[in-house]
Amino acid sequence: MKRALSRLVASILVLGAASPNASDPTAEDLVAGALDLMRGATSHIEFTMRIKRPDWERSTSIVAWSRGREDTLIRFTAPAKDAGNALLKVGDGMWTYTPRLNRTIRLPYSMRAQSWGGSDFSYNDLSRSDQVLRHYALAIVGERQDGEHTIYTIEAVPHENAPVVWGKEVWVLRDDYVMLEQVFYDQLQVALKRMTTLEIGQLGGRTLATRMRMERLDEPDRWTEVTTNSAEFDIELAEGMFTLFTLKSGAT
Amino acid sequence: MKFTLLVQLSWRNLWRHRRRTLILITTICVAVGSVLVLNALLRGMQMSMVETAIDNLNGHFKVVAPGYLDDPGIKKSFRFEPSGHPELASYGIRGWTSRVRVPAVIRSERETRGVQFVGVVPGSEDISFLGDVEIDGEYLSGPDDRRILVGHALAQQLETGVGRRVVLITQGVDGGNRESGYRIAGVYDAVGTGIEKAFVFTGITSVQELLAVDAVTEVSVRLTEGVQEPPVLHRLTRTFTDLDVRTWQDLEPQAAMMHEMADATVSIWFLIVMGALIFGLVNTLVTAVMERIRELGMLRAIGMRRGAVIAQVVIESMITMAIGISVGVVLGLLGYLWLADGIDLSAFSEGLELTGIRPELIPRLWAQDVVLVVGLSLVLGFLASIYPAQRAVRIQPLDAMRR
Repeated sequence: MKRALSRLVASILVLGAASPNASDPTAEDLVAGALDLMRGATSHIEFTMRIKRPDWERSTSIVAWSRGREDTLIRFTAPAKDAGNALLKVGDGMWTYTPRLNRTIRLPYSMRAQSWGGSDFSYNDLSRSDQVLRHYALAIVGERQDGEHTIYTIEAVPHENAPVVWGKEVWVLRDDYVMLEQVFYDQLQVALKRMTTLEIGQLGGRTLATRMRMERLDEPDRWTEVTTNSAEFDIELAEGMFTLFTLKSGAT
Repeated sequence: MKFTLLVQLSWRNLWRHRRRTLILITTICVAVGSVLVLNALLRGMQMSMVETAIDNLNGHFKVVAPGYLDDPGIKKSFRFEPSGHPELASYGIRGWTSRVRVPAVIRSERETRGVQFVGVVPGSEDISFLGDVEIDGEYLSGPDDRRILVGHALAQQLETGVGRRVVLITQGVDGGNRESGYRIAGVYDAVGTGIEKAFVFTGITSVQELLAVDAVTEVSVRLTEGVQEPPVLHRLTRTFTDLDVRTWQDLEPQAAMMHEMADATVSIWFLIVMGALIFGLVNTLVTAVMERIRELGMLRAIGMRRGAVIAQVVIESMITMAIGISVGVVLGLLGYLWLADGIDLSAFSEGLELTGIRPELIPRLWAQDVVLVVGLSLVLGFLASIYPAQRAVRIQPLDAMRR
């Protein structure tokens, strides 16, 4: 009974969030909506990550759980070489687990700008969550009509003292909160990294970007593509899901 | 026998073999001259190292919380009221300043590096290298300036520059992370890329705000030139009762060790050069004695005392040494003056920066070193003449006449 009720509440929330607003949304609404769309109150997502480099290419399978905007658990499932490697983020802290070493390591801030699992994502990219709302001044700088959707271009400029290195970020969002593009600029306003949505589909009852590509603009032929294979949102997760114990034991 | 007559005899004997004596004197000249020049260079290096060690945010003394050196961080900080320590304005102290120094991580759009994040009072940093460092951009305007200064090498690594923003992350008193963005006011050019990569400066209150403390981690004290360290150290230890007062030797053990090694190097070089020289001197003197067996035997036969014979050889040795040393000292001084403008070592600066030696080496010649070299040489000259003199007294007049 309780479960059914929470599902009901969740789906109302989701519907409420997903239906285009009659009035013009603010930049903050759009960004918050986009963040929540990918995460929900809780989520369970399975995806494939394809890393492309000029001389090689590889594919890994990953499963991820999230709760709220802060907690995430990510685990590699294939290939066998990587299977079991996991990452836990709870609030401000981040830990990695390597089964071969049978050790969890707390990731210091100094390492969070490094690439995660050899991809074009850094640990910081994974932990960004609601930073955008706190540390940036958001403004809608463009608006265009594409069929039945309105597409907004949002410019996010970090506050003077914000712990953000980018000069600015430009987000392109559809009115149903699907993110189409995200570009990171350095402080000379040169674009450095770009995330583009290649496919949009229906998963877990939501309209989502199902295939996204992150590329480094200063190095050609170098990108990471993430394809979402299945997604569930607002599901019940075990209480101890986001703990070091789960990270280590591999329990799901 | 009159001393002047002995000197006269020795002097004449010396010039019987003009070439031999001149070669010997030349050798002594070169030895003394080279020792002096090398000594001046090593002293220059030594002083440069000491100054660098003191300039690099150490000062002659540094007051820190107990245990700070083993585990530097904001946890080992202390409250500091200058008014409670009037000794800081006393005789012998050129200046002092307080700082907050914490290990931190600096991040730009492209790179991340580990650094020391140092909050300073810009006005009183004239006691460290920061006081006269070359800056591209602007210097910090005051203790509450929120902008930062980064080293040239670090700015290059981070691919950032004046006017751009970087993020600094450090640990608060509670062990949690503190991070904030900072705009770069200026890029400084220090001696040695090691320094440039190590230190990021900002106003002291800016760091205190980030860490939510109003304590400092160090008070650095610099002495007036020429003032002896121990008495001031004693006074400071007395006023900072529950804190540690450390000397630059404690803080830079490597520089202190190099400093002592330079002393040893001078002595070793002196001993090697002089040792080799002494053998030549002994050899020459013995030869001179052997050549004059008949003559010395005759002198003994007509009544010259043993003491006079010994004195004759010793005086001969001492005259040689005295001439050699005098010319040698002049040579050394000339060499020193020739190098006095400094030797440009910038070609090797990469390696030198590690040791904290400035890329320009200015030799220093101390009077006490010159006196020491001259004195020791004379002593050695005397010691060298003992064996030949012994040989000379052992000559029996009868044997000598029979030759």
